[in-house]
Amino acid sequence: MQQKNMPKADFVTSIVLLLFALAILIMSIQMPRYEGLGVNPYSVPGIVPGLLGVILLILSLVLLIRSIIRKGYQLGLNIEIVKQYFTDPSTRNFLFTLILSLVYGVLLLTRIPYLLATALYILFFILIFEYRPKENMSSQKKTILYSLVEAISVSAGITLIFRYLFLVDLP
Amino acid sequence: MLDGIVRFGHAVMMFMNPGNLFDVLWSTQLGIIVGMLPGLTATMGVALMTTLTYKMAPGNAVLILMCMYIGAIYGGSRSAILLNIPGTPANAATCLDGHPLAKQGKAGEAIGLATTGSFLGSLFGMIMLAFFTPLIGNIALNFKSFEFFWLCVFGIVICGNLTAPKDPLKGWIAGFFGLFVAMIGMEGMHAYARFSFGNVQLSGGIALIPAMVGVFGFSETLMIMKQPKFVLIDSKIERVIPRLSDIIKYKRTILRSGVIGTIIGAIPGVGEDIAAWVSYDFARRASKERDLFGRGSKEGLLAAETGNNACVPGAMIPVLSLAVPGSAPAAVLLAAMFIHGVRPGPLIMIEFPDFIYQVVAMTLLATCAMFVLGLSMVRALVKVLTIPREKMMPFVFVLCAIGSYAIQSRMFDVYVMIVFGIIGYYMRAMEYPVAPTVLGIILGDLLDKNLRRALVLTDGEMIPFFTRPISLILILFIVLTIVGRTNLFKKVMSAMMGKINKIFRRGSYQESIT
Repeated sequence: MQQKNMPKADFVTSIVLLLFALAILIMSIQMPRYEGLGVNPYSVPGIVPGLLGVILLILSLVLLIRSIIRKGYQLGLNIEIVKQYFTDPSTRNFLFTLILSLVYGVLLLTRIPYLLATALYILFFILIFEYRPKENMSSQKKTILYSLVEAISVSAGITLIFRYLFLVDLP
Repeated sequence: MLDGIVRFGHAVMMFMNPGNLFDVLWSTQLGIIVGMLPGLTATMGVALMTTLTYKMAPGNAVLILMCMYIGAIYGGSRSAILLNIPGTPANAATCLDGHPLAKQGKAGEAIGLATTGSFLGSLFGMIMLAFFTPLIGNIALNFKSFEFFWLCVFGIVICGNLTAPKDPLKGWIAGFFGLFVAMIGMEGMHAYARFSFGNVQLSGGIALIPAMVGVFGFSETLMIMKQPKFVLIDSKIERVIPRLSDIIKYKRTILRSGVIGTIIGAIPGVGEDIAAWVSYDFARRASKERDLFGRGSKEGLLAAETGNNACVPGAMIPVLSLAVPGSAPAAVLLAAMFIHGVRPGPLIMIEFPDFIYQVVAMTLLATCAMFVLGLSMVRALVKVLTIPREKMMPFVFVLCAIGSYAIQSRMFDVYVMIVFGIIGYYMRAMEYPVAPTVLGIILGDLLDKNLRRALVLTDGEMIPFFTRPISLILILFIVLTIVGRTNLFKKVMSAMMGKINKIFRRGSYQESIT
């Protein structure tokens, strides 16, 4: 992130952190105190998380005040900036990686056999980043072949190692 | 002392068999490759290897992890020299002089110097590990709940301070966030499931290995894919064996960096990256060739590489004596030791007295393997750096997923890895260091138990927290760390230093009396 945008990021983060710390504090206060059981009041479950909530609250307040002093509240958000962010190639690469990994980790692994899920993930990952739709197919045979070989060999190798060597019941 | 040497000798002999030596060689080589590849860090390598070795015997598993750790920290220098991209964060300082040397056509010489510096640093750290661990272990036997509480606070405060030099506030937030994460799940005194919202999986708590694989593995994958592609410089690799004259010439720098690296390693949560930067900075200040720093200084390269590898055994000192990790990869090693039934901490000298010396012997074997492997197969290994990230990163994520899953065979750990990967990514993007968070996750349970135990012992009285000698020393460090970062303190200190300098300036005394 560019340094000039850091106070803005800090401003937003500090508000999120403030709410988070407040939630910790409230939940800690609501935790049982086992008064009826004659439990020592200093051993109750909420005491340490409560203390951590207070510390996080203070630290995020300092961050908030500091970001306000540095004029971080002037977010200056408009459609152009958002559009620019999403059309930036690095953001696109990040989002593709995140979505592909989420689909593999959250959806595929629990729904289809491990071997197939892993092979599909690797195949699509390489193709999405390396395949050039504007170029003709014949010039990209090597990329397609490589992605297929890697997808099959990695998924088969990992499946064999974990299932038969480490005796792990694969997802 | 003699007893220690005998135990060390026994430990070395124990590992001197073909099976163990083979393990040393392949795991160190794999460590070097992991370290070399930008995007694969030492922490990630050790975490993934923990999942691959958890069914092995404890000695073998820890040996492989130590080799991976030492190999990876060294291996990162290779990409720092050839690509100007640190293979692991520990090699960031290596780029400053390693890459200019490669540009001058001295890539081989730079690799040789980095190898020698790493070898000597690691050996120096190993001697310190053997000497100080039993000593600190004996002191730690006197630790009560009060001291353990302050040790946890000290760890978070100093780790947050040193890993976020630009903005310690973010380091402290990261550390206390980590402590909060450790609060999730069933607590040890009344078996109450905190912050679990009735979820059975959450009530078991957040396991360290999936969280670390996420923070150091998945988030790194996201970061690497976001960055522009790197280019390998076309540098001929000639002579790799370093000149003895260079080593003798910079012996002071090597020794100084060894001391700095080991001390920084021993500070909880502060790892190899900081050790390398501090060693580099001290070397630059003390150097007669200060102008060369940043333009291909052999001394700068040696300082950074000696510092980061000396940090590795240094980081193991608190792991073994206090069960507090000195760095992020050491945190994984600590978790791996617990998985294998070894319980480091103050009781280690009583429960597992030979284990400390076994770790020292492992360090020695890994260091020797690193030196030999580092000076051989240099040209062949450079080819590894040409693997494009698009082909490497899906493989890394597949390993992150299966590695998180394998330990307890549950999908929940894969979800934990993904969530912590995303959190880790945003933390990095907003310049929050992730090391304090990991340290917090480890220290959370220790802090929770000891604070409540101490409060019960004193019936809520706070005075005993501040009156015990070791507690007082820790409090002093904590206060100095926090106050030292305030602007007022910096102003007062610079004014004082200005006055002191004026008094001691040559001739100023005569001026004042005339």
